[in-house]
Amino acid sequence: MDVLRRVNWVQVAAMLLLVAIGTTCIWSAGNAREAAFHGMWKANLRTAALGLAIYAALAWADYRKVLQWVSLPAYAGALVLLVAVLALGSEIYGGRRWLWFFQPSEISKLCIIAFLAQVFGMKEPPAWLRSVGGFGLGCALFGIPALLVLMEPDLGTALALAPAFLVMLLAGRVWRRGITALLVAGALGAAALLGAVHEAERPGVTPERREAILRHVPLKPHQLKRVKTFLYPDTDPAGAGYTIRQAMIAIGSGGFAGRGIGKGETNSLKYLPPSISMNDFIFCVYAEETGFVGSLVLLSLFATLCVSCAWIAWGAADLRGRLFALGFATLLFAHVYVNVGMSVGLLPITGLPLPFISSGRTFLLTVMAGLGITQSISIHKEEET
Amino acid sequence: MNDAIDMPGGPACWMVAVGFLAGIAVLAVRLERVQIDSAADSRRRMAVQSERRVQTDAPRGRIIARDGSVIAGNRASVSIAVNAESFQKRTWSDTAAGIREAIDAASAVVGRPSPVTDRDIMRHLKQTLARPLVVWRDVGPDELARFSEHELDLPGFAVVEREERVYPNGRLAAHLVGYVGRDRAESVAGDEAFRYCDMEMRGRSGVEYYYDGYLRGVPGERRLLVDARGFAHDETTIVEAKRGPDLELALDLGVQSAAEAQLEGHKGACVVMDAATGEVLAFASAPAYDPNEFVPVLRKAVYEGLSKDPAKPLLNRASGGTYAPGSTFKPITALAAVHSGISPSFTYECIGYYQCGKMKIRCSRTWGHGPENVMTALRDSCNPYFCYLGTAAGTNAVVSAARAFGLGSGTGLDFPTDAAGVVPDDAWKRDRYGERWFPGDLAQMSMGQGMLLATPLQMARVAGALGTGLLATPRLIAGMAPELKPLPFTERELGAVREGMRMVVAGGTGKKGAENVDAWVIGKTGTAEVGAGATRRKNTWFIAYAETCEHGADGRPRRAAFPERRIAVAMVVENGESGGGTTAPKVCEVLKSVFGTLGPEPSEAGKEDA
Repeated sequence: MDVLRRVNWVQVAAMLLLVAIGTTCIWSAGNAREAAFHGMWKANLRTAALGLAIYAALAWADYRKVLQWVSLPAYAGALVLLVAVLALGSEIYGGRRWLWFFQPSEISKLCIIAFLAQVFGMKEPPAWLRSVGGFGLGCALFGIPALLVLMEPDLGTALALAPAFLVMLLAGRVWRRGITALLVAGALGAAALLGAVHEAERPGVTPERREAILRHVPLKPHQLKRVKTFLYPDTDPAGAGYTIRQAMIAIGSGGFAGRGIGKGETNSLKYLPPSISMNDFIFCVYAEETGFVGSLVLLSLFATLCVSCAWIAWGAADLRGRLFALGFATLLFAHVYVNVGMSVGLLPITGLPLPFISSGRTFLLTVMAGLGITQSISIHKEEET
Repeated sequence: MNDAIDMPGGPACWMVAVGFLAGIAVLAVRLERVQIDSAADSRRRMAVQSERRVQTDAPRGRIIARDGSVIAGNRASVSIAVNAESFQKRTWSDTAAGIREAIDAASAVVGRPSPVTDRDIMRHLKQTLARPLVVWRDVGPDELARFSEHELDLPGFAVVEREERVYPNGRLAAHLVGYVGRDRAESVAGDEAFRYCDMEMRGRSGVEYYYDGYLRGVPGERRLLVDARGFAHDETTIVEAKRGPDLELALDLGVQSAAEAQLEGHKGACVVMDAATGEVLAFASAPAYDPNEFVPVLRKAVYEGLSKDPAKPLLNRASGGTYAPGSTFKPITALAAVHSGISPSFTYECIGYYQCGKMKIRCSRTWGHGPENVMTALRDSCNPYFCYLGTAAGTNAVVSAARAFGLGSGTGLDFPTDAAGVVPDDAWKRDRYGERWFPGDLAQMSMGQGMLLATPLQMARVAGALGTGLLATPRLIAGMAPELKPLPFTERELGAVREGMRMVVAGGTGKKGAENVDAWVIGKTGTAEVGAGATRRKNTWFIAYAETCEHGADGRPRRAAFPERRIAVAMVVENGESGGGTTAPKVCEVLKSVFGTLGPEPSEAGKEDA
């Protein structure tokens, strides 16, 4: 069959392997714990099965139709949900991220990318779309939901979306100067922020001066603490620095070959509490149990998955497909990089899940749906519009 | 392929792909550093937070007598303990309440309320969380049976076994063996290394104390894995504890029992020594105590009862009790004099007292012994003769003779208690009383009175040296190389004194000291007066040297050329009548326990002779 030839099997294989690893990871992390966690791998498998169905359906469907008919309502719906979660969401660990049984910010990631692809990948774009006007529109389409997400507060999601947004603008040939300005501003902003916190929290700084500097830093207290812990990891090993310290110990004690599946002590002895050891810090559990070898296998699978998406983007039939595939690949990569990066102390702690491995169900479905659309771009690349 | 010429974003695709690979490479490099380079450091930090080293108690070596019977052994002691991890709750107080409830429920099963209080539980949670909390110590077989029957209904409870010291012979040789106590163990490998140490058995007195390091064995090591809250998660044995080696004493339980039987109802001590090797065969101090009462912990009431007892049962009289040796010192005075050139046949007439300045020293026979020489004076234990003899020899001669016999210093016994006693001289008296040495002091010392003090152990050594001419260092352990020091006296000088001491048991003051003993015996009685007025009393001595004998045609013991056994005995009985009357018959029984009894015929011959 022609369709089967056009399917990107590398992506399918990488995805299935990641689902397998993720389920094993959750099985292992849960089994070492109390009975309440023992069945979590089954729930993950059920979600993955649902995800596969969505994946197959979206891959089968023509992505052009999906983007054309679904992206705008999805985007609008996402905005409504993001507002709703701020108003109605249940507060957990100091943030409003949950609406009933799912996290709108996870779904909104896909909706934003789909809608940006639909807008900037339109077939005969007006001239303004590639210049300042288009840049402004893009900033608005990205900025509004990003701001809503930031208000939850979910800095991680906003940060993970930003590179995808920039890559899409870049690939869509939208006003280069604006993109450059955004990049420069972002870099300067980040540098200024880190510099200010670094200066304010330096040992020996008077409280008055610290206050004076931090008054200009637009961070919430818990975020400030995370940046501080990132800059000075050893200052408070029992308090703010506890998590990252335990994360580093866990990953490090995996060594070359790891302790063996189910034998990680960080998780079984609860040095990382289950609320994070099965979610944002699951990489630590994985790395401790499988070692450097396992970490490399996992990173290679993620690299394969992301590059396969870029490959699909390269071969896409139209700009819409290319932009979506690139945007989604970047989003996926940002999650991997930020999550693993924070676990190994390269980045400050941000609450971003590791695709396929973390136990979040909303995000697993979102990622598989996104991959489904990407697969559709591969399958439908030779068809006429 | 779509090569829509106009389609933008082509370069972006491969730029992004390269960016992905670069990013993954950065992560991989970082992971290499964390997982390979600092793996050992991370493992160490993990171990610091999750591993607790536990030092486990090693079973203590046994103490065994010469004949192989056990004097100090071990018995299994069963305790029931509770493990906190089975009762984990969100808060510590809920956890403690859960444990309390479980203990109360288990109390009904075991049939004995637990002495564990709520405070004990909280302290356990704070300090020894990862270890079992002992709820009932030393559980009896009935209680254990009831517990085992319901063990499945009592999750979190477990049976813990450890070894406790037991002294099968009770009071026998109590002062020699000593006793043990339990104490917080000293961590073998530094302070930080071990988080928990079992309370370990430690020798507190006697041989248990002196040979503690030998008996103790090598502690083992267990490793506990604890979770983030400190509850035990897993436990593995890293090093098995090594039982301490057995200690074989020279002690002869037969002789020891005989000595203790003789001291029964008295205050006093008896030491029996192998004069040829220094091995201590009996080491008795009366009254004694039962060291089993000190195990596993010495209860306050028991200790106070023992320490307030006027008979001082805790005092080890054998090597720690210092007494005036009385007339048992006279052989030394005699040797000092003979050695300084006075002939053994030198005659002095006893008139019933000895006048020394204004002081009158009385003799036991108030009308006097008449003319005496060294030998007869020893036989009669004539005070004036020895006052005169000592005075004639001079202070230096008597003091150096006393020191040559090891008086005034520790004997070198492998034992914690080894009192030096006192051999006074001018310097000592000035130092102690700020008073110079008077001729009266010398006269008193010459007959073993005054400021002179010696332990029964020292006097047993003296008796042995008088018999063999060699001063042996006493030894408690069997088979150690003997340490013998020749006395600075000639055989001729010693021979004269032995002749006198032979006359003591043959018909002199100590004739009851060797009656029917199948051995060649020499001895000396002693009756030391202590205190004055109402507290005036007598400590009665008998020292003896005995060796395996040959039998003459008449069946009487005759000195053998190469005696098989050479034994020295010293016994003191507080508040006795006289050395010859009180103590000599007791020593006689002890000697019989070593050498056996002579048949009836020779005994009659002996009586006729007396």
